[in-house]
Amino acid sequence: MKSKEEKVKIITEEYIDDGEDAEEERQKKPSKVPRQKRKKQLPAASREEMVSENSPVDDQQEPVQEGSDTRLLGMMSRRGPRSLPPIPSASRTGFAEFSMRERMREKLQAARSKAESALLQEIPTPRPRRLRSPAEKESETECGMELDREVQRIQQEHDSQGHSRVKFHDSVRKIKSKPLVPPGFPSAEEAYNFFTFNFDPEPEESEEKPKAKNRHGANQEEKEGEEEEPPVQEGVSKTDEEEWLDGRDAEDLLLGLDHAVEDFVAIRPADYESVHVRLQREKELLFVPSRRTVPTYKKLPENVQPRYLEDEGLYIGARPEVPRTNQNIMENRLLTQEPGRRWFGDDGRILALPNPIKPVPSRPPMFTQAQDIKPELETLYKKAVKYIHRSQHLIGSGDSPGNFQLDIDISGLIFTHHPCFSREHVLAAKLAQLYDQYLARRQRNKAKFLTDKLHALRNAVQMGLNPAKTPKTLETTSKTINEYKSEIRQTRKLRDAEQEKDRTLLKTIIKVWKEMKSLREFQRFTNTPLKLVLRKEKVDQKADEEAYEAEIQAEINELLEEHTEEYEQKMEVYRVTLQRWKAWKKAQRAKKKKKKQEVEEHPTDEEREEPGPGEEPEKPAPPEPVDRAVIEQQVRERAAQSRRRPGEPTLVPELSLAGSVTPNDQCPRVEVLRREDIKRRSLFLKVTFNNKEVSRTESRPLGADFRVHFGQIFNLQIFNWPESLTLQVYETVGHSGTTLLAEVFLPIPETTVVSGRAPIEEVEFSSNQHVTLDHEGVGSGVPFSFEADGGNQLILMTSGKVSNSVAWAIGENGIPLIPPLSQQNIGFRSALKRADAISSIGTSGLTDMKKLAKWAAESKLDPNDPSNGPLMQLISVATSGESYIPDFFRLEQLQQEFNFVSDEELNRSKRFRLLLLRSQEVPEFRHYKQIPLYDREIMEKVFQDYEKRLRDRNVIETKDHIDSHRATVAKYLQQVRESVINRFLIAKHHFLLSDLVVEEEVPNISILGLSLFKLAEQKRPLRPRRKGRKKVTAQNLSDGDIKLLVNIIRAYDIPVRKPTASKFHQTSRSSRTFTEKHAASPTTHSPAHSADYPLGQALVRPFVEVSFQRTICHTTTAEGPNPSWNEELELPFRAPNGDYSTTSLQSVKDDVFINIFDEVLYDVLEDDRERGSGIHTRIERHWLGCVRIPFSTIYFQARIDGTFKIDIPPVLLGYSKERSVMMDRGFDSIRSLSEGSYITLFITLEPQLVPGESVREKFDSQEDEKLLQATEKFRAECALKFPNRQCLTTVVDVSGKTVFVTRYLKPLNPPQELLNAYPNNPQATAELVARYVSLIPFLPDTVSFAGVCDLWSSSDQFLDLLAGDEEEHAVLLCNYFLSMGKKAWLVTGNAIPEGPTAYVLTQEQSHYLIWNPCNGHFYGQFDTFCPLKSVSCLIGPDNIWFNIQQYDSPLRINFDVTKPKLWKSFFSRSLPYPGLSSVQPEELIYQRTDQVAAAELQDRIEKILKEKIMDWRPRHLTRWNRYCTSMLRHFLPLLERNQEDVEDDHRAELLKQLGDYRFSGFPLHMPYSEVKPLIEAVYSTGVHNIDAPNVEFALAVYVHPYPKNVLSVWIYVASLIRNR
Amino acid sequence: MAAAGPSVFLLMVNGQVESAQFPEYDDLYCKYCFVYGQDWAPTAGLEEGISQITSKSQDARRALVWNFPIDVTFKSTNPYGWPQIVLSVYGPDVFGNDVVRGYGAVHVPLSPGRHKKTIPMFVPESTSKLQKFTSWLMGRRPEYTDPKVVAQGEGREGGNTEAAIPKAAWICLPAWLTLSFCPQ
Repeated sequence: MKSKEEKVKIITEEYIDDGEDAEEERQKKPSKVPRQKRKKQLPAASREEMVSENSPVDDQQEPVQEGSDTRLLGMMSRRGPRSLPPIPSASRTGFAEFSMRERMREKLQAARSKAESALLQEIPTPRPRRLRSPAEKESETECGMELDREVQRIQQEHDSQGHSRVKFHDSVRKIKSKPLVPPGFPSAEEAYNFFTFNFDPEPEESEEKPKAKNRHGANQEEKEGEEEEPPVQEGVSKTDEEEWLDGRDAEDLLLGLDHAVEDFVAIRPADYESVHVRLQREKELLFVPSRRTVPTYKKLPENVQPRYLEDEGLYIGARPEVPRTNQNIMENRLLTQEPGRRWFGDDGRILALPNPIKPVPSRPPMFTQAQDIKPELETLYKKAVKYIHRSQHLIGSGDSPGNFQLDIDISGLIFTHHPCFSREHVLAAKLAQLYDQYLARRQRNKAKFLTDKLHALRNAVQMGLNPAKTPKTLETTSKTINEYKSEIRQTRKLRDAEQEKDRTLLKTIIKVWKEMKSLREFQRFTNTPLKLVLRKEKVDQKADEEAYEAEIQAEINELLEEHTEEYEQKMEVYRVTLQRWKAWKKAQRAKKKKKKQEVEEHPTDEEREEPGPGEEPEKPAPPEPVDRAVIEQQVRERAAQSRRRPGEPTLVPELSLAGSVTPNDQCPRVEVLRREDIKRRSLFLKVTFNNKEVSRTESRPLGADFRVHFGQIFNLQIFNWPESLTLQVYETVGHSGTTLLAEVFLPIPETTVVSGRAPIEEVEFSSNQHVTLDHEGVGSGVPFSFEADGGNQLILMTSGKVSNSVAWAIGENGIPLIPPLSQQNIGFRSALKRADAISSIGTSGLTDMKKLAKWAAESKLDPNDPSNGPLMQLISVATSGESYIPDFFRLEQLQQEFNFVSDEELNRSKRFRLLLLRSQEVPEFRHYKQIPLYDREIMEKVFQDYEKRLRDRNVIETKDHIDSHRATVAKYLQQVRESVINRFLIAKHHFLLSDLVVEEEVPNISILGLSLFKLAEQKRPLRPRRKGRKKVTAQNLSDGDIKLLVNIIRAYDIPVRKPTASKFHQTSRSSRTFTEKHAASPTTHSPAHSADYPLGQALVRPFVEVSFQRTICHTTTAEGPNPSWNEELELPFRAPNGDYSTTSLQSVKDDVFINIFDEVLYDVLEDDRERGSGIHTRIERHWLGCVRIPFSTIYFQARIDGTFKIDIPPVLLGYSKERSVMMDRGFDSIRSLSEGSYITLFITLEPQLVPGESVREKFDSQEDEKLLQATEKFRAECALKFPNRQCLTTVVDVSGKTVFVTRYLKPLNPPQELLNAYPNNPQATAELVARYVSLIPFLPDTVSFAGVCDLWSSSDQFLDLLAGDEEEHAVLLCNYFLSMGKKAWLVTGNAIPEGPTAYVLTQEQSHYLIWNPCNGHFYGQFDTFCPLKSVSCLIGPDNIWFNIQQYDSPLRINFDVTKPKLWKSFFSRSLPYPGLSSVQPEELIYQRTDQVAAAELQDRIEKILKEKIMDWRPRHLTRWNRYCTSMLRHFLPLLERNQEDVEDDHRAELLKQLGDYRFSGFPLHMPYSEVKPLIEAVYSTGVHNIDAPNVEFALAVYVHPYPKNVLSVWIYVASLIRNR
Repeated sequence: MAAAGPSVFLLMVNGQVESAQFPEYDDLYCKYCFVYGQDWAPTAGLEEGISQITSKSQDARRALVWNFPIDVTFKSTNPYGWPQIVLSVYGPDVFGNDVVRGYGAVHVPLSPGRHKKTIPMFVPESTSKLQKFTSWLMGRRPEYTDPKVVAQGEGREGGNTEAAIPKAAWICLPAWLTLSFCPQ
């Protein structure tokens, strides 16, 4: 870098700035450049000049410094930190700046001197300058050169407006500055240096140029904004400028602008270099490898011959293909390098690895058409196979295919006897059987065969007898003939037997057929289509006779021969014996003689000889000669017996089903019944394999011919060796359960029996069940007879035949899927592997490694050949001793490496476990926040609850549920709930469009019209209408978002106080009767009551307290028995676990308690003297009653609005109903018809929540399809007319099936002891029954089965579960009433507060009663306070009536269902009632509840409640008054027994006993389900809130057991304060 | 961390919603909020904010510049549920109704330092042409029940999701976010 240049540049730049200032005229412009030039040469002079030039303009700057420096300084200051304000103008510069400038100038001068020492870097022009904000530059230049610009503007107005022109001018200016350099320098180089080495001055220049350009177009202010862009470019495009400046050079030249001569660059021609010279020079530098082949000797070391491994027989891989020329080039290149030779191998070629490109693709080719795929390569789809680990039966120890299949074809079933067989059927079956036998016999035709044989034998004998024809020796001939003969004899016997059998069979068939015919005639109807036709086959009489005769003759001859033979034999024997006899005789005679001689000599001898007189051979009788006549006689007899008579036609029986069965209407009743019975029966078969059911056939109805056709084939995929294969025949009769008729054991087929070849076989079965039927069916196992007198009894068992075939299936490749026997195992497998020897070697077929190695060595395998690779490796492994071959295949072999921690360790980590449990949404952890970072920070107790729950899952806890039955039920419900909730948790993550996107619905015409109409509507109408609130989906809510609004409006008929001191009035209350119920009931209270109240003292000062989720709000206190509060209470709602999802909200079990209290002021003043100075009173509140509304009701109803009956305890000490006042007023007298107090409420949730949609699915059903269609139609019709009235036709039972609703109604017996309680008072009994039903705890379905639709359980299930909602209660009550002989219906409609619900309607003599099944209350039809507000449907045991009256309020409708104008009935003349069977049991069985258990429960509840009350009073002492408690305990059973009339007795007694106590208390009555509701109820009464110092408490519990574990719980809570 | 409390780590996010490009719309404002997992809790700063209304720049870029600052600090024990910033842009339609113009979400960067993120924005589409027309007429475009759903995966899988976000109109516009954070 040249120092001079550098300096020049700086100065030039400086000068340009100044120069511009100076430029006043255009003409002066060219002179600027020479000046610069001059300046460079003479810095001092330039300064002078500048001074002179600047003087007129920049006067202010003058005193400070010379012009150039000023500019420079300006620049420097600009280069300072951004934050510094730009120097606006010299006039505004302060002293500080001056000194700054001074310093800068010094620096600059120093720099300049340094520049002379040729060090560019030291020049103080920091690079970052280019980042300078353009605005600053702008303002700077503007301010600094205000005047210049003005001048320029004037100047440039003359300029052309064109952008390019301006550019030209700019460039011209630039050029002018550039060529200043002394001509000795090459212009290009100068430019290069200029732009590359110091950018600082340059940008300044280029920057100002655009400015100038812009200036002339618009105002300066505008420019400020606009000029942002060009400077931005500046930094980036500096190099660009460089280029186009070059270009401009040329342009300028071309344009030939008038420059000074000195400005031009010297132009020289380009240097020419001759090609040769250049090549020469290139040669020195470049190397071009030759393309010629390199001789081999060059590539090898000296005196080494190339060695070719291929020739030596070693394997050389295929070398990658490289073109020869390229290879040559490479070789040449390598050779020129220093250690070039080592690149070459022994054979003088470049070392190369074998070609990695395989000739065949390593990926198996995809065959689109299955051409010639090797069978072992073929991919087969196999279903996932599940292993059953039963090792003793597992076939093939793990590695066998394990996929065997048995095909069981069940084609049908025929009964040979069935209980429903009529007598005719029995005969028909017999006939069929005989006929089958006959057919079988005829098929075999043994008689014919034997006859033929006989003929053949006879022929043979005849041949044998003819010696001319047989060249054999006589001896052999006679022997064979003898054999033949004996054979003939035997055959003949057999034939005779067969023929006889045939004949008897035929006879029996005919006999049975005759019997059947006579039976048909006798019973005058035909049951079976069987018909026997005897076909006579005419025979040629003569020929037949001849044949017959010939046969007989032949036989006679044979027999004769036989007999003669026999005779001869006998004769022979006879002769022999005779001779012997004669000899003996002779000997005897000689003996006698001898004897006579020896008698005297040897008497003992004789003795010895003598004993043989018995042995004395008889004189043999000569055998009778054969009598031909006798034989003939015999033969003919036998023939007549067993054989067809000659000339008699052959009888061929033919059994056909052509007969007609008498239709039903012509049959007697018993027969019709029998046929009906058959229709109800259906059958199915279960296939059990190794005593496990594997499949079952469809249920098929039993045909009238007692045949069932299944025609199903079951493919059993088996793993275990088949041990037994059984078909179980099940029979279903109607809707009742199935019975196992019989088991049919099927033989396991031989391994050769494969499907397709197996014949259909019939396997017989029979059952030993005893069935007696009350119709024509004969039953089974029961004796019956065909005869009228009952003789000749028959006992038949149910039996039949199953036609089936069992065979092994054949796999797709033709291999039968038969489990191999132990021996078969190996062969089976090797067959699979035979195809590929290598693979079989490679896997497990190899046992002897050494042998293999030896073989490899012997066969001289090339170890280098890759095709032998695996083998060699195997050998090397084997020979090295490590013969471990894994016999498994690992899928993720690298998984191990990625396991940074072992599984056990991972499971041990508490944090991991917590995270896992949370992500599984385990209830305890579902909303766990901020799981700690380290294991050590996680407390062990976090898991305690969870682990406890897991442990307790199967342990039935009896702590909360004292009796075990309830505990089981609760556990069961809990488990069902859990599973349901889990299911819904999953479903919760599936969102619908509406869950995510809020979208306006497309308005239909009516809405559009309405909204158009609304436009014309007044903005603020005088009578505003209620608008629906916006519903909120429950997903974005959090705690505190939801509030429960309870608006308490007024109450009626609150009990009023009775002065304690008043003497007791024994009022005789007439027991209510039903007739009174709807007539105005006269009150018997004497008006004297009111006189008891002190004047001015309010009768009662009630206030209402609402408690919900332990939050309590209360109203102000009102006065009088009919108070009006009109207050709104707001209670926060918290969802369990902060989970505001629909499912969670649905299952909230909390209740809203609305308690009415009386606020009582007591004077606690102890000293009368102080009365003047102070008032000491204590406020006590007395519980009067409560209304309990479950949250679920509010949630589903959205709002609850109405008047509710207050649940007032039967005994309210100190209070009485004030009636006399009401009697005066006419209007109220109507209301007073029903007793009790009422409160008007309005309850809602804010914001309104969308109740979850219940799953509306189509459930499968066993109902008739027609019936279902009819229900749909009925529903649609009803919905069309009255969309608001719910029409109930089908409901869903517990197993999820749709059931027609009337099936639920059936008279069912109530517990006998309830009926016995009031034997002659039906009303009381009815009430008691209603009470019994109401004592079964209420559990809404939505709570138990959140989100799932309403399920109806039958009454026995209901009683077993001891929990259900309105429908179950109503059904049970209705069934009881039906069995008690009442006319009762189930009423569906809307009630408050329940919403859609079911009540029971009964018809008394002249009026109707509406029963609330859940609390046992009943109301007259015209009772205003009846909670049932609308009636939509009546359901009876055999029909459904839909209300089509104008009104649906029970007050205004007529309950006479016989009027079709008022009630639309489901079953009518067009659709008669088909007689649906009930889903209810035949009768309910009640077991008495254990009294002891009840007593125990009673004690425990009492203990728990006492503890609770003490807990609730942590700051006070809780004293228990034992005396009072025991008294109350005695009193409670009375209440249970007689709920109505005890109050006054009780009061009297209490007064007597506890005269000096002020007593306030009441009994609570509840059905028993759990302890928790009891606690809640006691808490809500607020008895424990009394904090008087000397208060005592009394608490008694009584549990009354009803049958079937229904428990009624009474709790008497009282507080006592001693009166002074 | 201190021995007293449970260990947490902090994530400090500061940055700004710089600008957006909605070629068709003008006068938009932007709302941001954070979606984070169960183990996260904001300790300082604002979790949510609504920006000023901005107009398009007059130059060719037509950018809507907000330069709306974000400054929030989270503490957490678990990187799972790393915070996401959810941006939703609103503006008036032809009739002057305020309608949503775009939703977008992005994770807070995982590494400290300056980051610039460009988020494509989208809006749910009406399910039918008719609805599209009526919603245009009534000025009630389909909106997400909660803008936070765009940061959640739930409800997008499966069959009904196509319905859930039918044809997300991917109006690709850069909403710029400069973020810096330093975990402790």
